[in-house]
Order: sequence, then structure tokens, then C-alpha cells
Amino acid sequence: MTPLASRRAPRLRPSAKSLICSLLLIWMASVDAQVLIAHAAVEVDHLTQNEARRYLMMRVPRWPDGHAVRVFVLPDEHVLHRRFVTGVLGLYPYQLRRVWDRLLFSGTGQVPITVTSPHELVRSVASTPGALGYADAPPPGFEVRIIEVR
Amino acid sequence: MVLALYWLPSLAWATEPALQLHGFASQALVWTSDNRFFGDSPDGSLDFTELGLNGSWRADPRLLLATQVLVRRAGEMSDATPWLDYALADATLVSAPTHRIGLRMGRIKNPIGLYNETRDVPFTRPGIFLPQVVYFDRVRNMMLASDGLMFYGERYTDLGTFSATLGAGLPLLDANVEWNYLLDDHDGELEPEHPVPLLSLWYADPAERLRLGLSGAAMHSRFDPGSEAAIGAGNLDIRYWLVSAQYNAANWTLAGEYAHILIDWRHFRPEADRHHAIQTGWYLQAAYRLSPAIELMLRYEEGDADRRLGDLHLHCPASDHSRIWVLGTRWDLGRRLMLRLEYQRHHGGFTLSYRENPPGDGVVEDWDLFAAQISLRF
Repeated sequence: MTPLASRRAPRLRPSAKSLICSLLLIWMASVDAQVLIAHAAVEVDHLTQNEARRYLMMRVPRWPDGHAVRVFVLPDEHVLHRRFVTGVLGLYPYQLRRVWDRLLFSGTGQVPITVTSPHELVRSVASTPGALGYADAPPPGFEVRIIEVR
Repeated sequence: MVLALYWLPSLAWATEPALQLHGFASQALVWTSDNRFFGDSPDGSLDFTELGLNGSWRADPRLLLATQVLVRRAGEMSDATPWLDYALADATLVSAPTHRIGLRMGRIKNPIGLYNETRDVPFTRPGIFLPQVVYFDRVRNMMLASDGLMFYGERYTDLGTFSATLGAGLPLLDANVEWNYLLDDHDGELEPEHPVPLLSLWYADPAERLRLGLSGAAMHSRFDPGSEAAIGAGNLDIRYWLVSAQYNAANWTLAGEYAHILIDWRHFRPEADRHHAIQTGWYLQAAYRLSPAIELMLRYEEGDADRRLGDLHLHCPASDHSRIWVLGTRWDLGRRLMLRLEYQRHHGGFTLSYRENPPGDGVVEDWDLFAAQISLRF
């Protein structure tokens, strides 16, 4: 029995490890699943991370088709905002706040429109031409464009 | 007033995305052991109040119109007269994935250093007071804004963003400039001779962890004396250079800036036809975020002036140096309200306004400052 048990054990260990790894990956995927979303008529389906940063930093006033970019965000302290900014953009929320405040209080730009809930954010993006925002996952029930950030 | 505003409903419009209205208000309490700073601070001064209202309208994706009115009370340096802080049109001439070029016209905040563009907004400052050895509140108008034109360009690369602003405009000279560089509010007019050229260069890595900047301006002004003036007609030229660096980490932000100011006086006195002086100032600052709502700040500042003003037979500044330690804390109570506390230990009085501390009164070399501030934004 002993040799059998010792033979089984090595087979079980990798399985347990792979199970844990799979669960971890699923958990990480669920944590990092935030997506950049835009109004359905926006004709952009992917952006580099640096390009996405510039849109959120309000440095890009127009989409390639000429329509004005309208950025919607959640409050700085909202968990989805923090996850999106750190996970997808690779920035810290305070950096975006600093950039937006500089634009706002020097008159050199406009700031994103802050909404109170993820649902309102998706609804605003779906209903505002040229809108850009984010969601925890591809939002069901709304017609929005998912922009892949590479 | 600040608390009263807090109870108002949010005034930030979001219903029409092209129009945005925002504002801020703050009230500080300043106490100093000696010397006057923002009012009668040895007795506890409430003479530091800020109120700003701004609006911007994106008339077209390529055209932004923006203005801000500021009410600022700062001891004897500034009364509460409403002031047009900026009023500009910003036209994006080219916007591409790799670069952007634009033009600003009107009254434009000077993009000098890390803080000048938003220096009167408490939420954007690292403390209740900006580092005074670089951002002089005693002579703030000189570098505050310009009435003119500015071209700006940004180049986006894998290495980061390279930005440049080049402009020219008339500075907004006031009595504080005379008090600081002619050491009195003389009978007569100090006027800029021609538009001030201004240059600002910045680099930021793609994640904006590191930001490096160089800003400069050169002002040429002429003083035409009135009949009561103690000095003759003359020229005052000031060249200002500022080198800036900032590093942003998850919980830390480190910053440092170095200012080099060359001041040239000509023709004010027949017996001392020309005189120049150099002022320098630098600081190192560390901010640590205990949580998203609470921040601690530690800063060391040094500033040095040139005492040889006496050669001009003007009053000699009471103090030509400052060594300052600053410890501050910031507490954000929700999205709209912020509280700050600050302690400063000073050696020297380089940062003091001569207007608030006339040369004859003398300056106490070692002094302390405590300040508290409540600020609201909407």
C-alpha cells in the first residue's frame, strides 16, 4: 500500500496545484476584468495602454471620426474606478485627479463627468454620442462598444 | 462662508456635457510667533480667504472657452476685490495619435513649475502655502498670468510625453512688485515694456511616474516716477528660471524645484546707474498617503536674496535668507471638503512681504508658523 500511496501522492499534488492555480486565475480574471467601453457609434475597437491613458487624461478632444470625446467616470474612491485606473491604465487614481484639477482650474481643458454608480456610468456611455467610460465586465443589456486595451 | 457653501447642492453641471461650472472656497487661520504673514498673524489672522468660480464651454471639439473669477484676501498683499484669473480660448490645431498642437489666447495662467497654473486652488497645492522660496506670494502677480498668446505642443512616444509651451504676454504688475523690487509703493507707474517671453518644457514617462520640467520667463519693465517719488525713472528687468522634478509612487510623491532669478535695475539713481542681484530658492518635498483620504507632507526650503540692494540707496531688505522646515497634513472628508494643518519652523525672513513687514520694523530671525485651513470644492 505504501508504494501505491506514494505513487498516487505525486499525481494528486499537481492536480491540487493546478486546481488552485485555475481558481486563482479565475479570481484574478474576475478582479481584472474591467473593460473600456464607448458609445456604440464610436469606430475604435482597440487602443494601446498609452493611448487609453491619454483619452482618460483628456488630452484627446476628438475621436478619429471627428466627434467630441466625452469621458464618464466614477468617484475617485469607488472600487471599480480604482481597479480600472490601476489595473487597465497602470496609473494611480490621485494622478488622474491631479491632471484633471490642473485642466479644470487653469482653464486649459475640461474634466470627465462623474456619475455615482456603475449602472449610471454604463447608461450614460450608451446614451451619449462620443462617450467613453469603463465597466466591471462587458455590460449586458446595453449597446456599447468594448474597446480592447493592448 | 465655506461651511455655508457646503450645504448648497452641487453646482457642478453635468446635464449639458459641453458646459462645465465649478468652484472652490477656503478659509485659513494663520498664527506666527513673530513677523507678519498673511495679516496680523502674531494675533492669529483670518486674512487668508480664497473663492473661485470657473466655467468652460467646449464650443467645438477643437475649441474651448474658459474663464475663472477669483476673490482672494491675503493680509495686506491682496484685498478681496474680484479678479479675472483667466479668460482664454484654447484651439486645438492638430490632434493625432502621436502629437497635439494648439494655441491659447487671452489671459492665460503661466505654465511655470509644478504648481503655478493652479496656485490659488487649495486642493492642488501640496500644503496650505506653496513653497515660498520658489512661489513668492509676496510678489505673485508677476508670475501669475499673462495677457497674450501661447503655443503648445505635445509629442507622444514609447519613452513618454514631451511637451513644450512657448508664449508671450503682458504680465499683471501690481503694487506688490514695486514693494518687492523697489522696496516701496513709489509715486509713479511700473509698466511692462513689452510682452514677456515665456518658455516651458516638460517630460513625463508614459505612466507619469517621473515628471521633469524647465520653465522660464524674462520681464522687462519701466518705472515712470510721479512728482513725489524718491527714485528716478528706471528699468527693472527680471529673468526667472525654474527647474522641476516630481516622482509619483503608489503612496509617495517626491518633488523638488530650484528657482534662479536674475534682477537688473538700471537708471534709478544717478550715483548707482546699474545694479544686479541674484535670488535663488529650492525645496525638497515628500508627501505620504496613509490612505486615499489622509496625506502627510514634509518639506525643506532654502531661499537667498542679495543684500547689496543698499548700493542703490533703496531700503535694504531686513532679511536675505530663509531656511524652512514644513510639516503638514491633509484630510479629505468626502469629495468636496478638505481640512489641512501645517507647522513651519523658519530661520530668516526672505519669504516675508516688505509690505507687511516694513524694513524699519525689523524681522525676528527665528519664528514659528501654525496654520489651519478648511476648503470646499464644487
